[in-house]
Amino acid sequence: MSRILVVDDEDEVRSAICRRLSRDGHEVVSAENADAGEACLADTEAPFDVVITDMSMEDGESGVRMLKAALQRSVFTEVIVLTAYGNVKNAVECMKLGAYDYVEKNIPDVDVYELLMLKIERALEQHRLTMRTAH
Amino acid sequence: MPESGAQHNVTPLEFLRLSNRQFSLALTQHTLRDFLSESLAEALRITGGLRAFIARIEQETGELIVVETAGSGWTRKNRKLRLEPHHETQRGITGFVAITGEPYRSDDVKADPHHLNLFEDAQSEMAVPFFDSEGRVRGVVNIDSDRLAAFDDLHVAQVTALAEAMGVALAFDEFRCRERLLVDIGLDLAAITEIDALAQRVVNVTSKALQCEGCSVFLYEESTQTLRLRASRGALARQISEVSYRPGQGLTGTVFETGETIRLEDPRSDPRWAGLFPEFTPAESSSFLAVPVVGRDRMLGVVRVSRPRSRTAWFRARFTESDERMLTTIAGQFGTAVENIGTFNRSVRSERMAAWGELSAKSAHMIGNRTFAIKGDLNELKFVLANCTREISEDTTLSQEQVETCLASVLELTDSIERGIFRLEEILREFRDFVMATQLKPVRGDLNKTVRETVRETFPRRTTLTLKEEYCATPLMVLFDPVKLKRALSELIENAVSFMQGEDGTLQVLVRMVPAGEESAREHLLPMRSYACVSIADSGPGVPEEMKTQIFNPFFSSRVKGMGLGLSIVKGIVDAHHGVIRETGEPGHGARFIIYLPTESAAETPTK
Repeated sequence: MSRILVVDDEDEVRSAICRRLSRDGHEVVSAENADAGEACLADTEAPFDVVITDMSMEDGESGVRMLKAALQRSVFTEVIVLTAYGNVKNAVECMKLGAYDYVEKNIPDVDVYELLMLKIERALEQHRLTMRTAH
Repeated sequence: MPESGAQHNVTPLEFLRLSNRQFSLALTQHTLRDFLSESLAEALRITGGLRAFIARIEQETGELIVVETAGSGWTRKNRKLRLEPHHETQRGITGFVAITGEPYRSDDVKADPHHLNLFEDAQSEMAVPFFDSEGRVRGVVNIDSDRLAAFDDLHVAQVTALAEAMGVALAFDEFRCRERLLVDIGLDLAAITEIDALAQRVVNVTSKALQCEGCSVFLYEESTQTLRLRASRGALARQISEVSYRPGQGLTGTVFETGETIRLEDPRSDPRWAGLFPEFTPAESSSFLAVPVVGRDRMLGVVRVSRPRSRTAWFRARFTESDERMLTTIAGQFGTAVENIGTFNRSVRSERMAAWGELSAKSAHMIGNRTFAIKGDLNELKFVLANCTREISEDTTLSQEQVETCLASVLELTDSIERGIFRLEEILREFRDFVMATQLKPVRGDLNKTVRETVRETFPRRTTLTLKEEYCATPLMVLFDPVKLKRALSELIENAVSFMQGEDGTLQVLVRMVPAGEESAREHLLPMRSYACVSIADSGPGVPEEMKTQIFNPFFSSRVKGMGLGLSIVKGIVDAHHGVIRETGEPGHGARFIIYLPTESAAETPTK
């Protein structure tokens, strides 16, 4: 079981992701914007294993802010950024800043939730690896 | 026996003063009629004649029409006198003078073969022509008397001087009329915002100013690459938009291609004459004048005028140099107005696109998020269903078979919902591509490479279709956004392939360099420069003629599937590269899309 923070300003999106993650047995916390997300980061004793954040919430850069805050809290946290289709430029920027990966929300013919779960599994794998090497 | 002999009513000094005054009035007069009327009265006074009239030549028919009378014996009827100079028994001395262009004096009209007996009491008569700036006879001053030999050489010389002043006044009046027309049309053209109305106004003003029965306005149409008739007076008036010339075809096409005016008296004898769509039958056609309509950096069209062969052989209805200047000025104003409308429409269009883009970017984002959430629900629903199946079949009165049937129909529904959502996402993708078509990140690269990659990624692997590729032998370095250009090219290739389904078709991809000034680029009226050119041609049904103008418009689609944004996205991407895209295929024989990208860096370099 892992601890995952989900940050997205759309209620339906947030609850859909949380529900899917819970199904796989993860402990999920959610926030409706970057500010609330940062508060969540500060609130917990142990850092989150994975943070999933939307790219654009209050503004187009809120995802980047969330990413920076998460990595500042703990370099071992893996961050996955959700983007709208075509916003690859921002996504690549996030990768450069240290995000684990990005997922486009609307890819025709793809069940994005399964894709997201796959990426989370891999992120957790990565997380476990780095934790092992670190200790 | 009637009285005879000439009498002189003015001294030489008085006449000198009179003639000076008339010449200066000729250039300052405000109404031509008043001036002519006064001049005629003076001519009658100084010669001591009985009556006088001025007849003007009507340009279109060559008839002499009485426009001013003085003296006695005039009735409502004989004031409407028309003389036909070509008709020997109907022309009288006046008509004879109109043809010869020489003054004429008859001391005894009853014995004169030229005389036409209009007034019983006339005994002697004199007639003097007046001319326009081109030296053509424009009218005749006629004076008669009830005395024999009432006029002498001095009278003729004096009336000739007055007639010359009339010629000047007439020319000046025409000049002022034309000037007024030009000012009017200038104001009109600035106020009219619809091209066909504009063209019609040009036809009206031109045919009035140049007194011509035939006048046609042609404008170049990019989609069909022809000069299309937009307004006309004469035989073509009923065939607006049906009549067209190719650049270089006939006299009209030649004017367009060379940008040079053509002025001819007998167009049929010119080797360039095609006689395709004349305003008059070939037998009737005579004078022809065509000038180009020039825009800021390209030819826009042609304005041409024609007069029928004059029914009177003596009168030449040819267009003069001043007609040519007039028409060139009108065409110039028309050209500016056409370009202004174009600019206006473009700016309205781009404003509309911007507003539309903003709207669709925002709504695509909102819809995208909702779709994403619905996909989550669907994912969950499938999971719940799968779990339930087991439980239901363990604890129910229904048979295993019944449960499975029920479940199968539910799964069918979820699949359908899933397909619907995927389709929705495809539409969203189309929207976003449309919005972002113009946001380029250009880099300098080899166009060959990008096209080759796109073909490899897009052309189906298992297919009955044939692929023919031809690339430029040397790297073709162009500043372009490879991602966007790939998007455009793959759209074209996918379209081509889908239109050739079930056929043994051929997709032909050609990449080449088009040096500055090459024929193919000139045909599309591109600015002089070198281009990198990608051509994608298929052997499908092609684009029907009537659709060619619309295929690049957003929401245009000949198929039920899709938003119809595909080609407008392609055009948006090409436009953003400062390039040009054309569909040049022949309907029925396949579509051919050609993209021209400027090779020198006209595309803006990316700003960081």
